Amino acid sequence: MLKVDQLSISINEKNIVEDSSFLVPRGKITSIIGESGSGKSMTVAALLGNLPLGTETTGKALFDGKDLMDSSTEEIMGIRKTDIFTIFQDAANSFNPSVKMERQLYAFSGGRNGDTVKQFRAKMSSILVELGLSVAIFHQYPFELSGGMLQRCMIACALYVKPNLLIADEPTSSLDRVVQKEFIDILKVLNEKQGTTTLLITHDLDIVAEAADEMIVMHAGKVVETGSVAELFARPTHPYTKRLLESRF
Amino acid sequence: MSVKWFGKRMVMGTIVLLVISFLSFFIMHLAPGDPATAFYGGNAQTLNTAEKERISRAFSLDRPVIEQYGLWLKEILQGNLGYSSKEGRPVTVILLERLPNTLLLFGVTLFFIIIGSLWLGTVAGMQKGSLWDKGLSTISIATSSIPSFWLGILFISFFSVKLGILPSSGTGEVGGDGGILDKLRHLIMPAAVIILTHTGIYARFLQESIKAETSKYYVMVAKANGVLEREIRKGVLRNASIPYLNYIGMTIPSFFGGSIIVESLFSWAGLGQLLVKAVMMKDFPLIMGGILFTGLLVVFSLFIIDLVMYAVDPKLRKGAYSR
Repeated sequence: MLKVDQLSISINEKNIVEDSSFLVPRGKITSIIGESGSGKSMTVAALLGNLPLGTETTGKALFDGKDLMDSSTEEIMGIRKTDIFTIFQDAANSFNPSVKMERQLYAFSGGRNGDTVKQFRAKMSSILVELGLSVAIFHQYPFELSGGMLQRCMIACALYVKPNLLIADEPTSSLDRVVQKEFIDILKVLNEKQGTTTLLITHDLDIVAEAADEMIVMHAGKVVETGSVAELFARPTHPYTKRLLESRF
Repeated sequence: MSVKWFGKRMVMGTIVLLVISFLSFFIMHLAPGDPATAFYGGNAQTLNTAEKERISRAFSLDRPVIEQYGLWLKEILQGNLGYSSKEGRPVTVILLERLPNTLLLFGVTLFFIIIGSLWLGTVAGMQKGSLWDKGLSTISIATSSIPSFWLGILFISFFSVKLGILPSSGTGEVGGDGGILDKLRHLIMPAAVIILTHTGIYARFLQESIKAETSKYYVMVAKANGVLEREIRKGVLRNASIPYLNYIGMTIPSFFGGSIIVESLFSWAGLGQLLVKAVMMKDFPLIMGGILFTGLLVVFSLFIIDLVMYAVDPKLRKGAYSR
């Protein structure tokens, strides 16, 4: 599905990510793990064409054969709209505070697909109920909902649009343990039922162990090890991966 | 609308007016000169002590200051602002004569300032790094640095003296029909001076507000997920308009202050010009009434801005700021 080849990202001639290569296989949950500053989120930003001004990139990122690094802004925008859905870390700030949830959820889901508001209401209502949310949130503003509820709203949109690739960038770090568990369960259901290919970025090894099939270990801007979760947990080769595994409780 | 919010605004507005009345009364009380002089001008010297005492008694000036203030306030609440010591007519009548002119100048200038700054600020703010963006940043500083009285003099010199196409002063032709077209012709220059010296800085404020808003997290999330650009812009503008409206609200009082200069320069027969004349002539009742009237206008304008903010900002409606 996604093949990243020799990706390097630099800001003001300082390398943030260096020669990273990895594969995100179709229909699986692949996790990028690494500590803060290891270049995980920058890699995601590069894939989404969302890098800050003055950033330079080299290498390739083939998404279904199309090089994301070599695409025009319009092409990237098209891919963002039709193929990829991204859930970010800070759910509380992921929505516009002065627009009602219905309008925003529509923009994130039905609006992307070209559905009418009526179609959207019917479909989204059942998804919200499935996720344990009331349809009353349609008429509420983001600041009236909790971080966990807002993150579930984002998942609701992902369930709605059924993207080819779901990217979740540290989606659970601002949530408490119980909500984290719920979130991971939903990701797994989404993957099992709809076969959604997922790229899960995290610094939490427990989440990797719980949810992911494949893992990519990043350290200081480099991909140091890749492989299946079972394999890497059993036989880590890179010293950083070993240290990471040893640090688990 | 929340009754509690409405009530709170009304109470706050009343307190502001009370403070204004208190200040205007006591500042006038401390001002040099005495009321007898104000009434009789140079002839006051010819008054004997008994006559001066009679004047003091007539105006309750022989009572303690606080009592004088109380009596004054009581009369004001009944709509009586006293009599002008120069014209001998009720202050309320004189002020009401001038009010339409001030409202016209204020309304027209504020309308064009808002339209102009909304347009310039949005275009510049939405195109970060563009020529519009950089241009507005520079021009706004230049235009807001120009003193309005100086620009006014330039205008008079150019449009009235040199070209002779616009009247240099007044609100209508002497002997004219006093029609709206005549008034508008007289309005062009004073309004243009205020608009030109204010639009830039309001536009700059909105531009910065939009730029700050477009770098917010939710915009990044929406863009990354292919939300329509039009939808994102709408949301950004709505949020950016909240600090902009706040800024307009905060600057309305100084707006009235600034218009005093412009009204005097162009002899625009509004409240500002009236106040300046009243100060020159030590017409105490008129000054106090004028200050109070201007205060009332400011409080009312702020109330309108508050209502707009209430409509635009859901956090205000839902009381999220006080949580």
